[in-house]
Amino acid sequence: MMPTANLSDPMEPLESLRSTAGARIEAVASIAELDALEAELVGRNSPIGAARRGLGTIEDADERRDQGKAINDLATEVSAAIDARRATLAAIEEREALAADRVDVTLPGRPVRRGTSHLVQSTIDEIVDIFVSLGYTVADGPEAETGFYNFTALNIPETHPSRHESDTLYLDYGEGTGDEEVLLRTHTSPMQARYMETHEPPVYVVVPGKVFRADEIDATHLPVFHQIEGLAVDGSITFADLKGTLAHFAKEFFGRDTEVKFIPHYFPFTEPSAEMHAYTKGQWIELLGCGMVNPAVFEQVGYDPDVYTGFAFGMGAERMAMVRHGITDLRALADPDLRILEQYR
Amino acid sequence: MKLTLSWLEEFVSLPTRDPSALVEVFESLGHEVEDHHVVDPAFTGIVVGRVLEVMPHPNADKIRLTRVDVGSEELEIICGAWNFEAGAVVPVAVPGAVLGDDFEITRRSIRGVTSNGMICSEIELGLGTEADGIMVLNEDYPDSLANIGASFADVIGLPDVWFEVNVTPNRPDCLSVYGLARDLAAYFDVPLRDHGISVKGEGELSDISVSIEVPDLNPRFAGREVSGIIVGPSPHWIRWRLEQAGVRPISNVVDASNYAMIEFGHPTHAFDVDRLGNRIVTRLATEGERIVTLDDQERVLTSTDIVVTDGASPVAIGGVMGGAATEVSDDTSTVFIEAAYWDPPSVLATSKRLGLRSEASARFERGADPMFCHLGADRVAQLLEEIAGGTAAPNAVDVDPGGIEPWTIRYATSETARILGIEVDAGTTTELLSRLGFGVEGGDPLEVTVPTRRSDVRRPVDLVEEIARLHGFDKVPDRVPQGPGLGLPVRDRKLRLLRDVMTGAGFSEVLTFSFIGESDLDKLAYGEGHVVRDGIRVVNPLNESEGVMRTTLLPGVLKSAGANLARRIPSAHLFEIGRVFLKGAGKLPEQPDRIAFAMAGQPLDTWIEESRQPDVFDAVGVWEMIADKFGIRDASIRPAAIESFHPGRSGEVMIGDVAIGAIGELRPSVASAFGLSGRVAAAEFDLDALLTDRGAWQFDPPSVFPPVVFDLAFAMEARVPAGEVIAAAVEGAGDMLETYRVFDVFEGSSIGEGQKSIAISFVLRSPDKTLTDEEAAPIRKRIAATVQTVTGAMVRGDV
Repeated sequence: MMPTANLSDPMEPLESLRSTAGARIEAVASIAELDALEAELVGRNSPIGAARRGLGTIEDADERRDQGKAINDLATEVSAAIDARRATLAAIEEREALAADRVDVTLPGRPVRRGTSHLVQSTIDEIVDIFVSLGYTVADGPEAETGFYNFTALNIPETHPSRHESDTLYLDYGEGTGDEEVLLRTHTSPMQARYMETHEPPVYVVVPGKVFRADEIDATHLPVFHQIEGLAVDGSITFADLKGTLAHFAKEFFGRDTEVKFIPHYFPFTEPSAEMHAYTKGQWIELLGCGMVNPAVFEQVGYDPDVYTGFAFGMGAERMAMVRHGITDLRALADPDLRILEQYR
Repeated sequence: MKLTLSWLEEFVSLPTRDPSALVEVFESLGHEVEDHHVVDPAFTGIVVGRVLEVMPHPNADKIRLTRVDVGSEELEIICGAWNFEAGAVVPVAVPGAVLGDDFEITRRSIRGVTSNGMICSEIELGLGTEADGIMVLNEDYPDSLANIGASFADVIGLPDVWFEVNVTPNRPDCLSVYGLARDLAAYFDVPLRDHGISVKGEGELSDISVSIEVPDLNPRFAGREVSGIIVGPSPHWIRWRLEQAGVRPISNVVDASNYAMIEFGHPTHAFDVDRLGNRIVTRLATEGERIVTLDDQERVLTSTDIVVTDGASPVAIGGVMGGAATEVSDDTSTVFIEAAYWDPPSVLATSKRLGLRSEASARFERGADPMFCHLGADRVAQLLEEIAGGTAAPNAVDVDPGGIEPWTIRYATSETARILGIEVDAGTTTELLSRLGFGVEGGDPLEVTVPTRRSDVRRPVDLVEEIARLHGFDKVPDRVPQGPGLGLPVRDRKLRLLRDVMTGAGFSEVLTFSFIGESDLDKLAYGEGHVVRDGIRVVNPLNESEGVMRTTLLPGVLKSAGANLARRIPSAHLFEIGRVFLKGAGKLPEQPDRIAFAMAGQPLDTWIEESRQPDVFDAVGVWEMIADKFGIRDASIRPAAIESFHPGRSGEVMIGDVAIGAIGELRPSVASAFGLSGRVAAAEFDLDALLTDRGAWQFDPPSVFPPVVFDLAFAMEARVPAGEVIAAAVEGAGDMLETYRVFDVFEGSSIGEGQKSIAISFVLRSPDKTLTDEEAAPIRKRIAATVQTVTGAMVRGDV
């Protein structure tokens, strides 16, 4: 008996599909074509879809199961080939797209405007931070000051040359004379007296700020510059504390191998007084003035000089910056040229 | 203080002549050496010779032939100078000697006679300016007589070392060779020689009387009369030393006074006794009294000036300058050498008021040694005996009513440890102080007697300094004390934040001088009477164009921008933080902190980006960022016409209802006055409100729910400020408003003449649920209603 069913063997188109699918998939050149082929090969209306629908007509359970498995195996096989091809095509398409989207990355970047803090200001900040880390605080005082705080409270005698108009800029303000006369502070030291008047020991404070002198502008003088004053007053401060603190500062600011030496000097508000010199970049350089607070200053502010001792120092921020950064002409620090400012990193 | 080593060596034998070693010693004593150099002779091969015979030159009238003993031989030398005869001891350049850099002396024939060298003048030897005649050493350098044939350089003390020492103002005692020699002797622990001052005093008794009316201002007046003087040039050694000391030689009488002052530090003054008479009275001047001083200026005195008088009229201003009427002249034969002590503040006041500062007044201002007066006069008298043929009176005049005596300080050696941080025992302390000439007695505490030259030493701590100087700071150990750690105050932290914000926004910081001038305010277009015009003047400005303390930071920032543009830097964004100075009610001017910034110029296009000019909204954006970073929630801009700014593109910077400054685009005429072109955005405002502590900002947890986003466009009259519309919209939106964005603004025809439209996009979000469009609808309505109520602006289209 000829099985009539053989004429329409549902597996026959699948065999043909199995034999041709691989080549067709490999032949596809785009993902769009592959999507169409996928529908044709494994979609609802594909021979595989038709064969799945035909499964229901098989009565024999075993045969149905066997055929079903054969269909699924084929579908899995074809789908895997399609997925593999899709991945390949995606990679090719991405490569082509990226190849077309190419720039010369060695061109300069989109400009971002850079701003810099002034070197003198960042120098002040750095120096202040060194002392803050030693437990100091920061105070600030008036730039227009009275003769009392700028001179008298600091034990600067009437006869001292710094009071001359050739050194100090006086302001036409108020009626005061002598101690009451208003001037532009010539140093940050007036804050020593102001701070001690309003604070009890222990005092550990630094005072950065602008100071003024009647100096013509040249490579080593500006009429307006910046100082950082320091003051430490406590029960047992000695010159050893001054030396140790300032030597520590010099190492922090100029480098660990910076050597310092102290040579005697004169300031009316300290006794003994000294200048600290530092050995940096192959030479000794005068860095700052310092000394033990003169008992006369303590008496002015009502501290008992038999109970308290202290040290004070004052340094020029511009000078510190010049020594550290190799600037030889002070005028560069007063120049607003952006070619200078933008070097202040 | 300029001096030479050889002069110091007259008073102290130093263990070294090495210049750099001596510089270090000076420095360790507190005498900074400003400059120093070795004084080498400007010659080689010059020997001391004695002229044996002077003969006419056979072939010439103006030159002579000499025979000179140069020790090893006798040389025939032709000489053109006529200031000597046989017996003169002279410097001789023998063949092979070199003058200056390369003038070699050779045997050569002069008018047919061989000259075997050259007899030299000062100027040829680089030892002075005297070109008339050769140097004759017999009297100027008596040692030369015994050294015929010796090196001339040795005889005059070359090579030498020259120092310029900066003597600190507290050490007037070291404004002298002897004073510095004393410090060096103490340092090296070698003896200081006696001053060696002694007057022969072979003249007649002087009858000059001195009386002092104001002993507190003139505590001592000493002097000595010297007669028989012949005024003329000083010997070379005096002139040479004066020149090395920076003093111009004038005549033996003047030079003797200057020489003694540099040598021992005490200023003196010589009166011509024939013009002075025999009576001296020192007193306060009467108001309006006049004197013609040595510089031929008539000086009008006041009743606080102290004068030396001849009993009637002033002949000198005490300690400041002598008078012309009693001045020593070429035919003076008798002088009275005054050496007084004047009250330092009085000398300072007079010299300052008269604008008359001299070497003498500078020394009296700082304080001379009252106990040295008579020696000062005697040293000059001694020199006049030696170099001017003078005969000093046997009696000195010395009126000493003031009685300035050495004082004592009780010194416990524990003070050394308390101040220096090292122990120096009583024995060492006694030794160190004694070396400096202090009298020291007793155990511990010590009784220290301070010499009157050391007016700077008054308290125990002043002795600590002396001990430190000699003992050396290097013996003090290092110690680093820790403070209580109060840290960086709010103000400093806020200023740093502000700098970070500005630099992050692309601005570079400038620090300009605190002075401005009228012309700067003219440029800023401020009218007369404006507060900015009412600046505080500097009494003694460095230049008149910068004679006022700044009342605004803008000129500094704008000039800085202009300087950059002038240097072809296309764009400058700059800021400055600093103080202005304003008249106020207090003793001191008000000095508020401010910031100013400016955006000027236009960057050049790059390959990737076209540039644009800055405008007001760039400046406003910067202000918004500052306000945001400082937690200021009520910041705004209020339209205003401000002098320096474009009236339609500027406003006041507001915090709440308080205007703190101005912001906008500069008026074009102002910009061009500062060398700027195009639009320039700028601002200046007070920082007080920014530098105060506003407490910590509080966290706002972001909602995880989806937002409702909608746009509303408002129509209104063009004059209504957008800021009011936005503020009303924000108020109407309430708590659900997460953010908003103005995305479209236009004016004009499409909406109607004189009208404008502002479109705002709103993002609403609930913190705890998904907001529905239905829930958002009433909020939209509330926004519309609030905006309409507050500003009159209507929503375009449906709400």
